Amino acid sequence: MRFKHCCGIACLLWLVFCCDLLSTIAAPIKIGEINPLSGRLAKPGLEIHQGVELAVAEVNEAGGIEGRMVELISRDDQSQPDVAISRAEELCGWKKVLALTGGYVDSLVGPISEVAKKYKIPYVASASLQKELTRHDNPYFFRVARLRGFVDPLCNFLYEHLRPQRLAILYAGTPGATEFARDLQSCLESRFIEAQIMEKFRPSTPDFTPLIGKLSSLKIDVIVSGGFFADHLLLVRQLRENRVYPKAYLGPFGIAYESFIREMGDDAEFLYSTCAWHPGITEPGTEKASEAFVDRFRNMFRREPNTTNMHGYTSTRALLVAMQQVLRQRKPLTGPNIRQALGELDLMLPMERLSFDEQGDPRHYQHRVVQIQKGRLVAVYPLERATGSMIYPMPQRSNRN
Amino acid sequence: MWTTAFVSGITLGSFYTLIALGFALIFGVTHTFNLAHGELLVLAGFVSYWLWKTFGLSLVFTFPAAILLSFAVCLILQRLFSRLREPLELNSVVVSFGVAILLQNSMLFCFSGDYRLIRVPALNQGLRLHTFYLSYGQLTLLALSLLVMGLLYLLMHQTYLGKALRATMQDREAAALAGINVGVMGVLAFGIGAVLIGLAGPLYGCIQYLYPTAGLQATLIAITITIFAGIGRLHGLILGGWILGLVESLAVVLLGASWREMVSAVMLLILLAMKPHGILGREG
Repeated sequence: MRFKHCCGIACLLWLVFCCDLLSTIAAPIKIGEINPLSGRLAKPGLEIHQGVELAVAEVNEAGGIEGRMVELISRDDQSQPDVAISRAEELCGWKKVLALTGGYVDSLVGPISEVAKKYKIPYVASASLQKELTRHDNPYFFRVARLRGFVDPLCNFLYEHLRPQRLAILYAGTPGATEFARDLQSCLESRFIEAQIMEKFRPSTPDFTPLIGKLSSLKIDVIVSGGFFADHLLLVRQLRENRVYPKAYLGPFGIAYESFIREMGDDAEFLYSTCAWHPGITEPGTEKASEAFVDRFRNMFRREPNTTNMHGYTSTRALLVAMQQVLRQRKPLTGPNIRQALGELDLMLPMERLSFDEQGDPRHYQHRVVQIQKGRLVAVYPLERATGSMIYPMPQRSNRN
Repeated sequence: MWTTAFVSGITLGSFYTLIALGFALIFGVTHTFNLAHGELLVLAGFVSYWLWKTFGLSLVFTFPAAILLSFAVCLILQRLFSRLREPLELNSVVVSFGVAILLQNSMLFCFSGDYRLIRVPALNQGLRLHTFYLSYGQLTLLALSLLVMGLLYLLMHQTYLGKALRATMQDREAAALAGINVGVMGVLAFGIGAVLIGLAGPLYGCIQYLYPTAGLQATLIAITITIFAGIGRLHGLILGGWILGLVESLAVVLLGASWREMVSAVMLLILLAMKPHGILGREG
């Protein structure tokens, strides 16, 4: 009788074990995503979120990863670091996600990366630049963008093509923009180009007119502005209002967007910016993948994608491919295994050839210099990737056709 | 450079004044601290933007709709505030903070998180006299702020209604004892405040840019200017706005753009320490 009972219990335990194993095999793969979906960074946050959603939908439509569907758990950090931390704690500690993606700006990405490190969960950030973040010893942190990707092409472009006589570097007082301005300055100085004026301003400054007065009195011919979307809206318009026409205006952040061109209208013409990707401006060899992305995006969201969408897509694709590698090697999907797969990744994506260095930075992330011509973005540098020729100096409004 | 800084300071100050007027009036009369002031202003701007973009209406013709909408929302807000118990200032902060979040999210839903700009090419033209340049945008701000201040001054000093409003601002209990219906004065203050918000909102979308959370900055400007001028001192608003605008502009020219907020904050602290009732305030 006792033997029968023991056999029964053993069978039951074996059944439970099998069911558990089966459920693990068939269970969806949970990944977490934290973005600023409300608050002051809602616009770029929502754009990254769309890119992430698209990457997950693409994988699920293709049958999932090795037969397992991907479940995306999205959270809103409300553009606040403390909320970002609590959302990351929720996803890593309670929801038990296997990895994290998304994230916009260093002040939000940084705290999330620390939580990911605590739980040994890989985090592939979509938009982060500050060098400090990858200097920390955090083997679980990866990102698909880096500051050098902005600075190098801009520095080369200024040196090789614009050769400014009197250069102004303006920048918003954020960590990323400040690092950008300093790195650009030191790169230009190594090529004997000196900035006449380096000015920091608060993001969303209400009036640039006094600063424009200064630029005018210094007879500045080229302006590099490390401000953001809203800062360009105001600065460019006030330059026009005050009849200050530099030969070139370059803004690496926030100009290369359809929404910027739409809001600025004619005032956006001939401005320079940089972008990692744009419909029609893609890595050589990825034209078809880029077009497929654009088509799928249009179908899903009924609008044109932009470079921020692509950053969200790229970070999520990297994560999903790394997970696929782990499963193909018949290893369990654990943080350390996914991290190792991310470290070994070498992917060709529309935005970049993606492989990470020891610190988690992308090795090949490079922007192109673009110019707005007739309401469209035209890649003008590097020349081998140009889709048109640059117009320099910017024609004054009275001389435009 | 100096004339540019001077003109910019004065026009920026005028802009600040327009933003602060509605807030100062409502706070002065009702003692409710409306943290949703900036959101109301941005909402009025969005309505104007929508009419301008969708129907191609000229900016001037969008003002009535903006005023009407802010009037409706302000009356709802007034009903909410009228149910509050003492301490009125503190309770109104809590309620209006909730309203601000609600409005922000509603605008995010209706207008998306995109930055919007009402483009009026005529405002980009201007007058030039040697090194002195004044754009029509700056001229409009200056003229409108002076006009509104003038009208408000006439209302407050030349009419019985204005005198009743001023009496309520100075002492609510004494005003009530003198037979003034302070409840009605509150409704009127919200009504006039709504008109001022409806005027400032479209200009905000024209001079600055609109996005759902832009209201926070407008609210901060309004609070700063109101404290600067002295609570209940409406005519001090324009002086306060101009001083603050000039100080900010000169700080940019003399010290650099990064010093702008620091200098104005230090000036505000010094003023509060030396003249706690504002630049035109009197003790007692």
